[in-house]
Amino acid sequence: MKRRDFLGTSALFGSIVLSGMPMAALASDPVSGGTLIWGHSETTQNLDIHQTGTASTGRLLQNIHESIVTTDKNLNVVPNLAESFSQSDDGLTYTFNLRSGVKFHDGSDLTSADVKYSFERCANPETGATNFEVFKAVASIETPDDMTVIVKLSSVNAPFLSRLAENGAGAVIPEGSGDTQGEKPTGAGPFIFVRREFGNEVELSRFDDYFDGPAYLDGIISREITEPTVRLTGLRTGELHMINDIPLDRMSEIEGNDKFQTLAWFPLNFDFVNFNHDFEPFKDARVREAFDLMIDKETLMQGALWGQGATSASPSFPTSASYNSALEQRPQDIEKAKALLADAGYGPGDLKVVFKVTTNYPYHVDSAQIMLEWFRAAGVDMSIEQLTWSDWLSQVWVDKDFQMTMMNFFTLWEPDFLYYSLWHSTGGFNYRKVSDPALDAMLEKARITVDSDARMAIYKDVQKYVADNTLDIVLWFRNGTIGAQTNVMGLDTVVQPNGSELNFHKVWLAS
Amino acid sequence: MSYILNRLLSVALTLALISMITFVVTNILPGDVAMVIMGTQSNPEALAGLRENLGLNDPLIMQYGRWVGGMLTGDWGKSLVFKEAIGPLIAQKFVASGLIVVMSMTIALVCAIPLGVWAAVHQNKWQDNAASTTSLLGVSLPDFFWGIMLILLFARYLEWFPSSGFVHPADDFLGAVRHAFLPSLALGLGLMAHLTRMTRSTMTGILNQEFVRVARAKGLSERTVVWRYSLANAIGPVITVAGLQVGYLFGSIIVVESLFNFTGMGWLTYQALLNRDIPLIQSTVFVIAAVVMLTNLLVDLLYVVIDPRIRLN
Repeated sequence: MKRRDFLGTSALFGSIVLSGMPMAALASDPVSGGTLIWGHSETTQNLDIHQTGTASTGRLLQNIHESIVTTDKNLNVVPNLAESFSQSDDGLTYTFNLRSGVKFHDGSDLTSADVKYSFERCANPETGATNFEVFKAVASIETPDDMTVIVKLSSVNAPFLSRLAENGAGAVIPEGSGDTQGEKPTGAGPFIFVRREFGNEVELSRFDDYFDGPAYLDGIISREITEPTVRLTGLRTGELHMINDIPLDRMSEIEGNDKFQTLAWFPLNFDFVNFNHDFEPFKDARVREAFDLMIDKETLMQGALWGQGATSASPSFPTSASYNSALEQRPQDIEKAKALLADAGYGPGDLKVVFKVTTNYPYHVDSAQIMLEWFRAAGVDMSIEQLTWSDWLSQVWVDKDFQMTMMNFFTLWEPDFLYYSLWHSTGGFNYRKVSDPALDAMLEKARITVDSDARMAIYKDVQKYVADNTLDIVLWFRNGTIGAQTNVMGLDTVVQPNGSELNFHKVWLAS
Repeated sequence: MSYILNRLLSVALTLALISMITFVVTNILPGDVAMVIMGTQSNPEALAGLRENLGLNDPLIMQYGRWVGGMLTGDWGKSLVFKEAIGPLIAQKFVASGLIVVMSMTIALVCAIPLGVWAAVHQNKWQDNAASTTSLLGVSLPDFFWGIMLILLFARYLEWFPSSGFVHPADDFLGAVRHAFLPSLALGLGLMAHLTRMTRSTMTGILNQEFVRVARAKGLSERTVVWRYSLANAIGPVITVAGLQVGYLFGSIIVVESLFNFTGMGWLTYQALLNRDIPLIQSTVFVIAAVVMLTNLLVDLLYVVIDPRIRLN
């Protein structure tokens, strides 16, 4: 079975593959106790869950916060901090009934005032919340009693509830705690933030009053070891219980070793190659298609990701209802690409393109170098410019000063976030200056279509439209990886259906 | 005394100038901290709100004034990206860098001086060649190479030292030394090579001088001639170079710091720059510049102690 077929048919949530033998089998019941030492691949930054935009910090915060609702493994929205919720028929009013007896780490009880405070904080542009957009249509938030929250929207926003299921937009913090969240995050999650020695380590301890039952671990120490070789050495010497992000080229060293277990989950994110739609040559769809034809996606994935991923023409979450499995990537055809370029008026050597890539993702640099050869073979005069993360953000994301680039995004199962933000002409993430009235109309229609099946059908059309017109070139989904000692149990629970990854609530240490 | 006061005054003026230049240059760089905080989750409206909130829209002179005012009153402010109070953050990284600099310098000096002297005494013999080869090897291989080799040998195979991490000396002194040992050794090897060559060349010059011949003619033992009289004359330039290295090591050993997850001032400065975190850039550059200048002052004062011929004025 080809990977692509697997994607289309798998009914599992993404997929989590655990290999190597956890110690296990012998220890049947989870035991409490012990501190897990985690070799974390990145440095945590601003610890405010509403403000932080980095995956690394989010990974840690998943253990500290809880969202108002969440999702089950079939991606249906289900209760969490709210024990029930309802939506009015016109799609404008949402009522949440909060669970009683939920405590925050500061000892206070969860009330409707905390929810109102959290949502209003995100909606205030001065907060700089990354999920600001989710709350844009909110007209009022009422709290008739301590346990009830009524959110009224000024216009229908079909994805509203699904977005609240992410432990980001939907994370509830104690009323008035906004100013201290960045230094000392406080929430209702299974672990309490103890301290951070910036750039070295973060310590969390178990929250005994967690509403869903206390965690097994006494605590977690996350040691921030950015150098992959050292992280791997720490695992091998036993200094670390587990590491995330195993260096791709070293995967085989521990995969076949029975002293360790590895966990791969799919998908971590998707990657795509971008055109600046304001750059004259890329206004011509034939030129964009020609570039698509130059890329052999499977070979590129093997070369840049060492096979740790799966190619896909759709960026939708692979098991979600919006995933268009009928869509296929164009196979590589350099001759056809040359012909298309010639049709568009570019003979060999006529087209000069600079490809900007960020060193923040080393595999992007590798990808660009591999693609360079193909682009040159098709007669494109291409050069690569490597940028630091902040330079990439400023030149490409904010100033939109680029010709070609590539980037990755989380694949969230809620398609509006993905498609509207990235491909609508006014979308918050539309750094490629895509401006297509037909596409805009489809995306706007999806947003006000309350019927779920009809809405998903629109998103499938959107994917086809993006691929047919080569607005961007979607490459693949990338795996997330964890390597651990065999006494770390329950690792298959660390990736949650609502997209939060590395949640240690159900993880335990066998002695 | 007035010499020291003069020097301190010039240090203060230089620091003020450096802080102004740093501020202007970091503001010229494209991009800003709000953009980095939100990353690829940002949208124009929220980005504008965050900029306002962080005070990035205020005139530059006001932003600079805020920083100077804070420094003078002892409130170094907060990092914009990491939300940590800058004072304690720098204090912690200062200890990490200090530990690694002191230990690597000690390792380097303890090995380099005897090796250099030994090579000079046996000039052009096999001992000299051996010392030269060793130091050439140390100089030409970069510290990250030594770092990875040391991790593999001492942490992975022998398991004598931990592969990474920092322990505060106040919490556990022995643990701190154990954790700092491999990074210090990785740095110390390169430094040692440098200082060995330095010692050898100055010693060679001294050993050919007339007073050495006189001392030998007087029948003083070879040990006294070499270690007491010659070395005392040769050590000055070595100390100068070592002193300059201290300042350099303090602020720019990012590679070794990140390799061993032993993050200090160099790493912190690099993070501040990468993230355009202006208050943090200002403060780290300021502290590093101060350390460099004060070490140089200290080296000059040390000269007087070592070489009684020198007088300060």
